[in-house]
Amino acid sequence: MNRKALALLLLVGSIFVPQLQAQIKHIEMRVEGMT
Amino acid sequence: MKQHLQRQSGVANVDVSLIDGKVEITPKEDGKIEPAQLLKATYDSGVSVAALDVVARGKVVKDSSGSLEFQVEPNQAFVIAPNELSKGLEPFADSATVITVRGQLYKKPVGKKKPDTSAPLKLTILEVQKKE
Repeated sequence: MNRKALALLLLVGSIFVPQLQAQIKHIEMRVEGMT
Repeated sequence: MKQHLQRQSGVANVDVSLIDGKVEITPKEDGKIEPAQLLKATYDSGVSVAALDVVARGKVVKDSSGSLEFQVEPNQAFVIAPNELSKGLEPFADSATVITVRGQLYKKPVGKKKPDTSAPLKLTILEVQKKE
């Protein structure tokens, strides 16, 4: 039973950990002289 | 210009709006993107950048001189320009709190024709979106 709970915890953790990574999510530039 | 930018490392997609004069860049999920390189690539393609804004997720750290930095990768951090919003981030310095902010990394200097794209970029916090 405990092993099942641990496995479930690891599975849930592996889903959420990548989303907590720090990084630049989006960049927006305002430009001039573009044709 | 679009091809110039798409060749930069860490860039997943570039969306150019000629009417609005806006360029939207989507970084790769697992790649490191260098805003300074994007600025340089844009200038090299003959287009002038008025401003560069980012939405970034990272941690607030203090550097050796005591200045606040926003760390987005283990080896990538931007010095935070002091303003009212940055003061609110001081308590989170060197903590495990992950913060999502919208900020400005570059604004074209008034009156200058050719900006210095080699100067380190400072992050002016415009909005604190999330603290986790």
